[in-house]
Amino acid sequence: MKKYALFLGCNIPIRIQQYASSTKAVLKNLGVELKSISGFNCCGYPVRNIDEKSFLFSSARNMALAEKKGFDILVMCNCCFQSLKIAKNSLSKDKGLLNELNEILAKEGLKYQGIVKIKHFLSIIYHDIGINFLKQSLLKTFNNLNIAVIYGCHILRPHEITGFDNRFAPSILDELVEATGACSIDWQGKLGCCGASLTGINDKLSTIILKEKLDDAKNAGADCIISVCAFCHIQFDTVQKNSAKNDELKILPAILYPQLLGLCMGIDEKILGIEQNKTIKIKKGGYAPPFA
Amino acid sequence: MTFHLLLYLSLFICLTGLVLKISTWFLYKVNTSENDISTRQRISAAIKGTAHIIFSKKIILIIKSFLMDVLLQKKIFEKNMLAWIAHMFIFNGFILLFLMHGLESIVSENLFYDYYSTINPFLFLRNLFGIMVLAGTGIAFFKRILLKSSRINSNKEDWFTLFIIAFIILSGIFLESAKISSYSEFQNMVEDYGEIDDKDEMQALESYWVKNHGIVSTNIINTLDKKTLLLGSEIHDMSCSECHSPAKWAFASFSTAKILKPISLSLDKAGGVILLWYIHIIACFFFLAWLPFSKMFHIIASPIVLMTNAAMQQDKFTPANLLNKQIIELDACTHCGTCNLDCSAIMFFESLQNQFILPSEKINFLKNIASGKKLDIKYLKNIQKGIYLCTNCERCTKICPSGINLKKLFANARDNLLQKKIPEPYIYSQLSFALTLENKFSDEHLEALKSVDLLLKSSFNSLKNINKTLSLKKTKALSNITYRSCYCCQSCTNICPVVGAYKNSNEVVDMMPHQIIYSLGIGLIDIALSAKMIWDCSGCYLCQEYCPQRVEICDIFYNLKNLAIKQITH
Repeated sequence: MKKYALFLGCNIPIRIQQYASSTKAVLKNLGVELKSISGFNCCGYPVRNIDEKSFLFSSARNMALAEKKGFDILVMCNCCFQSLKIAKNSLSKDKGLLNELNEILAKEGLKYQGIVKIKHFLSIIYHDIGINFLKQSLLKTFNNLNIAVIYGCHILRPHEITGFDNRFAPSILDELVEATGACSIDWQGKLGCCGASLTGINDKLSTIILKEKLDDAKNAGADCIISVCAFCHIQFDTVQKNSAKNDELKILPAILYPQLLGLCMGIDEKILGIEQNKTIKIKKGGYAPPFA
Repeated sequence: MTFHLLLYLSLFICLTGLVLKISTWFLYKVNTSENDISTRQRISAAIKGTAHIIFSKKIILIIKSFLMDVLLQKKIFEKNMLAWIAHMFIFNGFILLFLMHGLESIVSENLFYDYYSTINPFLFLRNLFGIMVLAGTGIAFFKRILLKSSRINSNKEDWFTLFIIAFIILSGIFLESAKISSYSEFQNMVEDYGEIDDKDEMQALESYWVKNHGIVSTNIINTLDKKTLLLGSEIHDMSCSECHSPAKWAFASFSTAKILKPISLSLDKAGGVILLWYIHIIACFFFLAWLPFSKMFHIIASPIVLMTNAAMQQDKFTPANLLNKQIIELDACTHCGTCNLDCSAIMFFESLQNQFILPSEKINFLKNIASGKKLDIKYLKNIQKGIYLCTNCERCTKICPSGINLKKLFANARDNLLQKKIPEPYIYSQLSFALTLENKFSDEHLEALKSVDLLLKSSFNSLKNINKTLSLKKTKALSNITYRSCYCCQSCTNICPVVGAYKNSNEVVDMMPHQIIYSLGIGLIDIALSAKMIWDCSGCYLCQEYCPQRVEICDIFYNLKNLAIKQITH
């Protein structure tokens, strides 16, 4: 199996380390080798409102670093994924911008050539490893677990650039979830927005969008919600927990896809870091429903 | 006499400086909004905290940290080998020189009963330590010039510090080399210690020293025959060798003396030894007096920070001790720039060229706040932008070789700036996401958002109060021209999650996405820029994906946001 440079971004290393540890463990089981490259910077996504160039150059520097080491990039956060893809696209169209970028990069001995490939870890599991092989690596499967998957905007759109799955009817994440024996339920918010990008800018609006998603998922009978993006997960986990305050009963547990896989693979729970998910209650001797 | 006068004067300045600087640890604070904690409370908290650590098991952690973090500088070693070599050379070379040579009458003479500065190993070691320091400053100098120069922002103090350290060592080497070649020094020594009977013996000894120990003399021209040298060697063995190892062991000074040979005689006649001695001790004493007021003060502050970090987590600190520690942290910063090299926001800096994006420069701002310096509005606006252009990845805090909690300091800087109520458009970016998660000072954050909202409203003509006629001009400011294909089907508005979030969206949303695109089509970019909707856009790209005319709505919104910010910040 191929080696990839693991791109974590800024949120995962300090706010959801369990995403990194569980993904690493799961991919190791599946035979994917991950290399950590020191010196990666922010993907630029959070600064796009302010300055497009800061946004593009940030992503591009990361790609140049990976190119220098000779690895393609594996991404775990949709916003990082889309940013890297957009930067790759913009730089392939704009020679002037490319030259300006490479002048900056030259100061530290880097050059962006545009040869690096950007892959979301879902694509690697789905396309490179395959559902069949994945199923063989599972030690146990779930029954009666209803999961609401949310793809996250930036893995799907703009489709010409991200090139992930079918733009209007994606199924990769549903299929990957169902490989664990769980049921990926049909619900309204599957392709929608989690509201995270408005957290801090318009908290009220962000909370409305979040609540709408949670209500929709619960009404459709979800036991938990799964996302594959750092921002989505923080929104469904930390922000949901913060805004629920004392209303513990209404909380919809949020779990990350590699955590779900890891449970089925029998990976050490400490490595999966499920107790770091703020919306999942841990009971003595095991997990609270729905993961019991 | 002069020596002692200068020594006591510089010692006095140094001690006064130390008292002043240390008193600021209990007087200054980085966050003016913090509850008032009196200096007395802060001092007593510091004493209690220190006692608590020393008289508990934590002392083991402190000792371990002293060895690993302070003496061996583990953090620098892990991050950058070259920087570690440079720092170890300077630090160890300088400290050892200071103890062995600077404090010879206190340390060396008591420790070694046979100590004599002119015999080995001390003669050799002095040169070795000096060369270590010079090599270290050399590496540091070239690192600052050559490597990633744009991110290591070297200021005058950085250069001066390297200069003064190198100057002390170089002046010492020149002084020793002048002594080696000095004929008058030789004569004095012979008078004091030589057991010489006649002129021949004197000449023999002189020949021997000229030949072997670097003396430059006019008397010795052609008399270097074997017999004389043999005699000279015998006298040397009797009178000199006991207290004088061969001068070549002072390898740096001996080589320097060789290079300076052509001017040695005139230098000696002009009193070069005395002159160089003054230069050397004045440089040393200056360094001593200057230390508390410079970044060299980190040799006291950094170990304190590193060791307290090892003993205690920051969230266990009492509020008073937290205030104390933050000021010590500011003194611990050496402006080394390690934080900049690993900063996640580094390309924002390359694009926007605001030096305050670099963590090391933000620290300078905090030093200014702490000391109560008045800062002008332009400076404040720039620093505020720098403070907000931070991804909150905390890498600077993890990497700082002095153990400074930059994250906490920057949070305080932000609180400080929030109170000045200068509207900051950069707050309208997803960088605010991390700030909200921490859930602190959210009222001030909301107020700041409102002030930016007002600023935007007052900067652009909104649809409601427009009184000009339609221009129907092409909108030149936008690079993305796909808006021209819009035929106003409103698919974008219908699918927008923001519009859909409100039951009364007609009242709450000031302009619908299709209206914004349409206003661009009729040349009213000002109206589009005024729309609150562009800032409420979540960037989900649903509109763009569903647009039958392939108008890149979401991308255009990003264009508009960039443009609005550019216009109101210039």
